Amino acid sequence: MSFIHTLRRVLLSGPLLLALLLVASLQASAAPASPARVAAQQVASANAAPFNVQAEQLRQMVRAGKLAPTVHVLSSLPPTTIIQFPLVPSGIKAAFPNATGLVTIVRGNRDNSVFDTVTVDVQHMPPNITFTIFLIELANKPFGNVEYMADLTTRGDGSGETVFEAITLVAFAMDARNPGTSQDNREGATSGINLEHLGMWFSSLQDAQKVLNNDTLTGTIFDGGNPPLHAGPQAMTDGQTAPVF
Amino acid sequence: MQQLYSHSTDTEARAIGLHLRRPRHARPVLALLVILLLGLLLSACDSGNTNNTTGNTGTTTTTTGGQPTFPTTKPALRTPNFSSEQIAPTVKVLASVAPTLIVQFPLVPASSIKSAFPNATATVTVMQGNPEISVFDTVFVTVQHMPPNVKFTVFFTELSARPFGHAEYVGDVITRGDGTGDSVFHLIAFVAFAADNRSPTTSADQSGTASGIQLEHVGMWFDGVKSARQVLNNPSIAGTPFDGGNPPLHAGPQAMTDGQTLPVI
Repeated sequence: MSFIHTLRRVLLSGPLLLALLLVASLQASAAPASPARVAAQQVASANAAPFNVQAEQLRQMVRAGKLAPTVHVLSSLPPTTIIQFPLVPSGIKAAFPNATGLVTIVRGNRDNSVFDTVTVDVQHMPPNITFTIFLIELANKPFGNVEYMADLTTRGDGSGETVFEAITLVAFAMDARNPGTSQDNREGATSGINLEHLGMWFSSLQDAQKVLNNDTLTGTIFDGGNPPLHAGPQAMTDGQTAPVF
Repeated sequence: MQQLYSHSTDTEARAIGLHLRRPRHARPVLALLVILLLGLLLSACDSGNTNNTTGNTGTTTTTTGGQPTFPTTKPALRTPNFSSEQIAPTVKVLASVAPTLIVQFPLVPASSIKSAFPNATATVTVMQGNPEISVFDTVFVTVQHMPPNVKFTVFFTELSARPFGHAEYVGDVITRGDGTGDSVFHLIAFVAFAADNRSPTTSADQSGTASGIQLEHVGMWFDGVKSARQVLNNPSIAGTPFDGGNPPLHAGPQAMTDGQTLPVI
């Protein structure tokens, strides 16, 4: 009798145990999906930056040689575009071989931005000197068409920085009497002559002659105001044939 | 007033059977407490002043006899001199504290929008911190009663009217739904010039003869010829070069001009 009871208990409790195990395993598999897994998924999706079409197009242009190989296109969040490229010493190379410059250009939204923001940082430059910054058609002589953007005055340790806010990525020069067109690697054909390089000049010829210990240096046009040709030689250049922006 | 109040309080106290008379020895103790509290209050005020002075040590604030002295009058204003032959009559050179230079001038509707938006106005403010050491100028453009929700480009130009001559693309202004808008740019403005270094020229500037061709006027253009055609309800408007990027001549006509022969910047 007791054997039959025991057998019945086992037979009855077996499915019950199985059901319990099934429920437990289901709960176990469902449990991590609630708070911990959701949080992990959120972190993962936050870390995966959204695809930035503009940045990818610029990277492709660098790979295709349409933008200079020195140009970094940063992995910025869309719709921002951030590029960086170095400046190297030109006219100051012998006296200041370690001079460095870094240009960062930030554009918010291509459709809505009303200007670009350009930051120029320099180091190991001639100290306490004012340099002019120009957007130029060609990185090297004869430089072609130019636009005067801003100045940068170095500190006593040869470092310095400046920020200016103006149209840069689609900067162009033109005489509206005969504007002409030119080929912008990024945009296609555009009005005027594209200015796709950046350089720095001594704002004063006298400063340049003193700093470089060379009285034979001649004046250049690379500063505004009176008198003509009072600026000095180019100090820093992007040094590229392909556009840097 | 105080006596009347005290009297009435005593009367009320008597009425409700309270005894307000204190023991005789309590009065000197109370007076002592009041003096002590006053002393503490005074010393707290003194220590606050002491801290303030200490806090200012090492800053530009000067001290005389231990007391800090701060300016009590406004700094003097002066108006930088420009001869009437050098700048347009619409330019207002503001009286400002040295060494700043601040000029303002209006923009007026150009022929393209004059009939559709006759009340459009704009003010341009150009500020230079210190002409000796400033690394850029700051240009504020504020507009009102303009076509709403339209993007305009801002250019420095050689001439205010056609053919405009050499031009530099400075920035954009996007109007709001009510036709207002403003933008701020940081770049060289007062000595802006255009040049081709292959054949550099000179031209007259307020400072004298200078390199390149001076860009001394400001104008605004429709950024898109399509939006100009739509806003002005005129499909025959032709494209202009006054915007960057592809395709050529995709900009619209001039919308606002300083309208001057003499320089405004």
